[in-house]
Amino acid sequence: MQHTLLKTSNAAPLIVFLGLLASCTSTTVDEFRQGDTGIGSDESVVILGRRQASDYETRSEFVQCVGERMTRGDDSIRVVPEQEFVDAMFPWFEPRTAPLRTRDLEQLMAEDVVATKMNEFGIRYIVWLDGFTETTDRSGSISCTIGPGGGGCFGFGTWEDDANFDARVWDVASLSSVGTINTDATGQSYLPALIIPIPLIARVEANACSRLATQLKQFVIGS
Amino acid sequence: MGSDLQMIRLAATSDRGLNRAVLLFVLVVLAGCGVSNVVIDGSFPTPNISKIPVSVAVLYDDALREFAYMEYSETGQEEFNIESGLSHVQLFNAILPAMFDRVIVVESIDDAQSQGVDAVFAPAIEEFQLALPAKTKLDVYEVWIKYNMRLLTAEGDYIADWVLTSYGKTPTQTFLSTEAAINEAAVVALRDLASSFSLSFAQVPEVRDWLGSL
Repeated sequence: MQHTLLKTSNAAPLIVFLGLLASCTSTTVDEFRQGDTGIGSDESVVILGRRQASDYETRSEFVQCVGERMTRGDDSIRVVPEQEFVDAMFPWFEPRTAPLRTRDLEQLMAEDVVATKMNEFGIRYIVWLDGFTETTDRSGSISCTIGPGGGGCFGFGTWEDDANFDARVWDVASLSSVGTINTDATGQSYLPALIIPIPLIARVEANACSRLATQLKQFVIGS
Repeated sequence: MGSDLQMIRLAATSDRGLNRAVLLFVLVVLAGCGVSNVVIDGSFPTPNISKIPVSVAVLYDDALREFAYMEYSETGQEEFNIESGLSHVQLFNAILPAMFDRVIVVESIDDAQSQGVDAVFAPAIEEFQLALPAKTKLDVYEVWIKYNMRLLTAEGDYIADWVLTSYGKTPTQTFLSTEAAINEAAVVALRDLASSFSLSFAQVPEVRDWLGSL
């Protein structure tokens, strides 16, 4: 009995230590500017996820997260929700028909119906988000048992999450690409189990979303 | 004696309870083994395109209206019955009025002739394929549909006949059931059909020639 207590008391600092480690997410943001930017009070931004790749697609939840964060704070920007924009622009911004280059956007804007709708929304910038979060280096194991006297789990699991997203900014006024922002966030998650599993999750995607939104906002507002 | 009788009654009651539990368990297991029915349900936006100044009758045959696809498990058992006929009709009813000046739904070619339309549009589904993550080992549900689009004169003569394919995928998500994921992938495929059909219609060579002759 004493031995179990000793083990439990040793485990507590370990869990606290792992918890601190889990909250450590490393995020790198790279910005590449190709043109001057600025946005008026009557202008808005739309953030769209790229969904052309066969093996992954940019999650709409991440796109929504970046958009929501850009609308917060003192220097907030008007962001048109992705689904509202894509539905209103149907069928021009579907995965197979969406413009891949600014040259395609130029052709698209030559369509009266598209140009009119774009003006109605007041779109100044289109931001294309492309990326995904990958889980790697899974290790450890957890076993759970249940019996008439109760149940419990014992073991340890760990994995690394890597979120890598590119944001390409197109200026609708000049029909050109004005820059790219890349965000790469990594973090280690832990799942120790002593009777009950205690997830210590690294908030990799949330951090990537927050940093990217802040950087995008500054980028669009301009210096 | 009285307490013995009560004991027997209690035992009989608990036996009945046990039988019910076993029956319920068997029913749940059997339900798990049966085929899952997925009726495709989604909403489709109206295309934001310029109208073509023609009147078109649409003929949905029974094969399209009642279209269903059966997905079999690796052991050959029926796994998912996907009913998409009604959603196809809803999709065409949403996009065709945005594409043409006048659109009417008819039951036969004779009806179309009496309505004095310029053409009759008769879509047909040729093939339906479903790819499940359990089989492909990918983290996406995929739906692929092949169509045969036919455009006829009001008298039923040939104008154009072309093949169109549509594709939809949805990533696997922790709290999404397989049925809901199949539905989402199918709705994406239907949107894909609507976008490629509405944008490519006037570019089909035979259709382009026909429109030029009007």
